Amino acid sequence: MGPLADLMQGFMTAVTPMNLLMCFAGVLLGQIIGVLPGIGPSAAIALLLPLTYGASPTGAIIMFAGLYYGAQYGGTLTSVLINVPGESSSVMTSIDGYRMATQGRGGVALGIAAIGSFIAGTFGTIGLMLLAPPLALMALAFGPPEYCMLVLLGLTALAAVGGSVIKGLAAGVAGLLLGTVGIDPQVGVPRFYFGQSWLLDGVDFIILTVALFGVGEVLASCRSSAAEPILNVGRVLPNREEWGQAWKAILRGTGIGFLIGVLPAAGATIASFVSYIVEKKVAKDPSRFGRGAIEGVAGPEASNNAASAGAMVPMFALGVPGSGTTAVMLGALIMFGLRPGPEMFTTNATLVWAVIASMYIGNFLLLIMNLPLAGLFARLLQLRYSWIYPPILAICVTGVISHANNVEDAWLMLGFGVIGWLMKRYDWPAAPVVLGLVLGPLFENTLRQSLTLSHGSGMIFVSRPIAAVLLLIALLAVLVPPAIDMIRQRRALA
Amino acid sequence: MQGRIAIGELVLAAFFVALGLLWVWTAARMPLWQGFAPQSGFMPLWYGITLIGLTAAVVVNLFIGKEPAREEPIGKPLLVLATFAAGIAGLEPMGFGPAMFLMLLFMFVFIERLSIVPSLLVSVATTAVLFLIFRTWLKVTLPIGPLGF
Repeated sequence: MGPLADLMQGFMTAVTPMNLLMCFAGVLLGQIIGVLPGIGPSAAIALLLPLTYGASPTGAIIMFAGLYYGAQYGGTLTSVLINVPGESSSVMTSIDGYRMATQGRGGVALGIAAIGSFIAGTFGTIGLMLLAPPLALMALAFGPPEYCMLVLLGLTALAAVGGSVIKGLAAGVAGLLLGTVGIDPQVGVPRFYFGQSWLLDGVDFIILTVALFGVGEVLASCRSSAAEPILNVGRVLPNREEWGQAWKAILRGTGIGFLIGVLPAAGATIASFVSYIVEKKVAKDPSRFGRGAIEGVAGPEASNNAASAGAMVPMFALGVPGSGTTAVMLGALIMFGLRPGPEMFTTNATLVWAVIASMYIGNFLLLIMNLPLAGLFARLLQLRYSWIYPPILAICVTGVISHANNVEDAWLMLGFGVIGWLMKRYDWPAAPVVLGLVLGPLFENTLRQSLTLSHGSGMIFVSRPIAAVLLLIALLAVLVPPAIDMIRQRRALA
Repeated sequence: MQGRIAIGELVLAAFFVALGLLWVWTAARMPLWQGFAPQSGFMPLWYGITLIGLTAAVVVNLFIGKEPAREEPIGKPLLVLATFAAGIAGLEPMGFGPAMFLMLLFMFVFIERLSIVPSLLVSVATTAVLFLIFRTWLKVTLPIGPLGF
């Protein structure tokens, strides 16, 4: 079947009442999560996981995908109306979006963001539909050395995105290390369980994710819990002149966002930064930027939504996430007994195509929800964080103990939560820990298989072309950012 | 508050080093290599060594860094953490309902200084909704105390 026929099949699954409801719930929750401070899409997906045990994997992943791209738009509201980006990918939006709001054009900023997000989300989904299957087909030829290097690339790329590459790498290795707790998957011997039988199944992905993204985030954010004063929303639809200024920025942002999103771990934040810089470069009058230029909202907003769709390409096609949130979604797929990777398009085609189809529906839902309801969502901003974080902690503890009816898990979550708090406090990225835990068994298995195949020689990773290229990219991902920093520092000193 | 090095970050680094050392020490007592194939202890040993090395590099960077560390007050997060721990500790002796209700109420009224009536309402509603979703709808066995919930 071609992609169009597959997509039609996907639509037939996605429009069942339950899946439509899950899609709607996902985008609505995403909107709310994006607006509320102190909880991001990664934490929200982790907290929802216990609620989806009995649900079908298709419905659950449709909801999580909706939550992911819905949160991108929710973050825009806080950027525009109170100058506080709800998500890191909305930082650039706040520069011109907030200025527009102070000029009484906050509604237009939100309107163009909704329209730009819809266009970018739709084109991004088309890109996902066209690019992921051939990439998956190519990856079907991968053997253990290629898979091993692919996982290494995913870990190093995600580690390299944050502020410090070394901290990111250390976090990734800590995740790999935690992934060795339990039974050795190759020889069936228990290890690193320290005499505690409840650790024989390993460190649970849900416990670690809820702890790092839920408890850690709350402890890091609870210090300041005052509500911010918000500006009026006003007219939402852009006029002819504003539309004329914005549409090219939307198209450019879509292309930039999708391409950057596809790169492992580059994600929506970098996409929005690049889009803003490009818009400023191509503008006839760059001095308008920072003073309420509509292109400064349209470009980055289109870009971060297209990147969300792009980030799903490596997740579905290769089993390597393109962002922190897709790392959590990858763990969810494994929890449902699925094996993310190239086989997904053959063994779980119904699920993959239903999720892709649901993204068209979800983007449309977001558009029709956002244009008339922007003012209503803005009211959520008046909710003080003091009222939000205690229930989040209650949900964290309930979700974790319900997973295995085990109070010990709650103590483990508390311990990891403290680590998550310190990591957040001192800018150690948490996503690589989760990714290391999720991909650790695959990495260890494929590395041990590769070394067995090569009679213990590490040359197998450089003598096979695809593995060698992946290894080279992984090395570049680690070495290039510090090299650029060093060059910048030397130039600044000169 | 400003200092040369953030003490909390050193604590975090010490935790990672301790974790790495524990893994190296344990893995070194496991089979590492047999014939052509790595065994159970091989990867954990290397993970431990790598974690220690990377964390040491972070600590060195902290000491040679030029910017002074900024430490935000930790009183409130520690109070929230202690209340959260008390809530977990109360799960088995008191039961899920009373433990969560008291944890929420303490956070709203004593930590956040919010009004008592809305705090009571939100605490009861949150506990009830969680109990209904997990116990009644999803049939999850939550810890039950003397009050029966």
